[in-house]
Amino acid sequence: MILSGSIFFERYKKIIVAFILIVLLFALGGIIVPNFLTVEQVLFTLKLASFTALFALCQMIVIVAGGGGLDLSVGYAATLTAVLTASVMDGQNANLLTAVLIALVLGSAIGLANGALASFLKLPPLVVTMAMASILQGIVNAYTAGRNITGRPSPILATVAAKSTAGFPNILFVLLAITVVVTIILNKTKWGTILFGVGSNETTAYLSGINVKWVRCIAFMVSGVLASLTGLLLIGNMGIAFKDMASNYVMPSIAAVVVGGVSLTGGDGNYIGVILGAIFLQALTNLLIALGLGDAGKWLVFGIVLYVLLSFYASNRRSR
Amino acid sequence: MMNKTNHNSPRLNLANYVFRPEFSSLVILIAMVVITAVLQENFFTIKSIVRNINAFAPLILLAMGAGVVIISGGLDLSAGAALSLFTCVLTTVMKRGEPITGVYAIIITFAVAIMVGVVNGIGIGYLRIPPVIVTFATSYIWLGIGLFLRPTPGGESVAWFRMFYNPAMVDGIHPAIEQFGRVIPPALILVLIACFIWFIVSKTKTGRYIYAVGSNNDNAYASGINTAKVQLLACVINSIFIFLAALFFVGQNQSGDARMGDPLTLRAIASAIVGGIALTGGRGSVYFALVGALILSFVNKIIFFANISYAYQTLVSGLIVIVAIAAPVAYNLHSSKED
Repeated sequence: MILSGSIFFERYKKIIVAFILIVLLFALGGIIVPNFLTVEQVLFTLKLASFTALFALCQMIVIVAGGGGLDLSVGYAATLTAVLTASVMDGQNANLLTAVLIALVLGSAIGLANGALASFLKLPPLVVTMAMASILQGIVNAYTAGRNITGRPSPILATVAAKSTAGFPNILFVLLAITVVVTIILNKTKWGTILFGVGSNETTAYLSGINVKWVRCIAFMVSGVLASLTGLLLIGNMGIAFKDMASNYVMPSIAAVVVGGVSLTGGDGNYIGVILGAIFLQALTNLLIALGLGDAGKWLVFGIVLYVLLSFYASNRRSR
Repeated sequence: MMNKTNHNSPRLNLANYVFRPEFSSLVILIAMVVITAVLQENFFTIKSIVRNINAFAPLILLAMGAGVVIISGGLDLSAGAALSLFTCVLTTVMKRGEPITGVYAIIITFAVAIMVGVVNGIGIGYLRIPPVIVTFATSYIWLGIGLFLRPTPGGESVAWFRMFYNPAMVDGIHPAIEQFGRVIPPALILVLIACFIWFIVSKTKTGRYIYAVGSNNDNAYASGINTAKVQLLACVINSIFIFLAALFFVGQNQSGDARMGDPLTLRAIASAIVGGIALTGGRGSVYFALVGALILSFVNKIIFFANISYAYQTLVSGLIVIVAIAAPVAYNLHSSKED
């Protein structure tokens, strides 16, 4: 399909905006903060952003499926996986397979529970997943109460998540591979068409013989599995598991999706845009930290950015 | 989001009453009180009742606020962060040893509370962004400002602020007030103020508009109601209730903390739902949000007496939320199959 210039711009408007924002931010950072634009610093920013991007992929799949979907349980799904698999792996490569199996089972179980409640019982996904997050947090707290979390990630996992090849962080290859797979699945296969179809118009999807509820439920399961696997990568990167290791990723994962131009009503979105959103947020965080604003500045600016972008992208004003 | 209701069902059998959320929440509350009374010795003494009211009041206030917002068709995920922010503002403005700063602090924090409500209300009402996501965004704005004011928990408070917790702890207070405070704790008065505010609002046009907007925004708009303004007012009322809770917290702890309110957000929403307020908006009673908050608080007490570790508390409150919001829907599915 050949797109003429204006249609191309219309279709990728939000991604272009995200890209311009990143360029502006790096330019601003380069002027204000010395060493902000060195190759190492940029690669480091990309490495940190890739974890946000992976969590944002979970959000994106749930959001694209429509029905007001959002998954606030990704943070604690990842934390629980990391905490449980830490002792299983115990620094041995031989145990990695078991750890991955645990992640898959745990992730799909959490996703299934979310999906069943949100999709089949039609409960608000945000409340369901928020409640799920506090259940998982409770399990993590109970598991870690009165004992140390022992165990280290297997060396392979640490290499994939934390190490670099010729100065190039390995996690970026993982992200690249995932991006290619996700883009192909979403744009070239039946599954992608079904997912976008369910998200953009529930009724037409239903009339075309698609089981809308199951598709949304599966979207939550995919989100749960991806969150758990990202939890594995996180412990690979950090080397240890701790109680709140992934809870700081929930807010950025949603913000990245919004910055990346994914429609919150579903049926539209591009993972490249989401990755750009994650990079934008990470660069913003770095800049704020470099300016000495720390956590307070980070959350304040994230909140304002999200609010402002929502008022442009998610506002329903024009329907009246 | 449409929800099946058996509101106008012609069959007036017992089930229609028993399965009304309000009825079941009262039954559950009575059961909770009985269980707690059995577990705890001298549960019915004034001292223990006062202690319970103090422990329950903040959640009650937040639950009533959440109730107002949910009835108006919104949802506030920023309640806990707003509560934390208010405690930070209060303790930043106040200077120990300068009693007058307490008055300034109350005035300034009240203004901040109105602004918090207005920002949420603009997002929900005027910009018409989905309420959950816009209040999710604002919760981080409140957290950020709170962390700027109080990077670590702490801050100063004037001595007389203990008035909002226990008047007997304030030096040189009139003995009559002290005696009064022993029987009627300030926390109860704050809750009664909230009830009174809602009582007045519910008798005005605004009160009815809140229900109308919540049950069907488009119809309300078409009938000439300024829906955005009504939703903004609901957010402001919520914010005022949270402000009352902040007064109590600072009175109790004499310090501010930018993260202390976080766990209360979900519990406040859960309380409103347990109290029978429909998440779809437009149905339920704000006073029953109070009942819901009592139920959740008693559950916590029972967990405490059952010697279940504190670590399980978030787990249990998460489970309660899911059961509470799933039960009415599951019942409706079941009853619609019968027809």
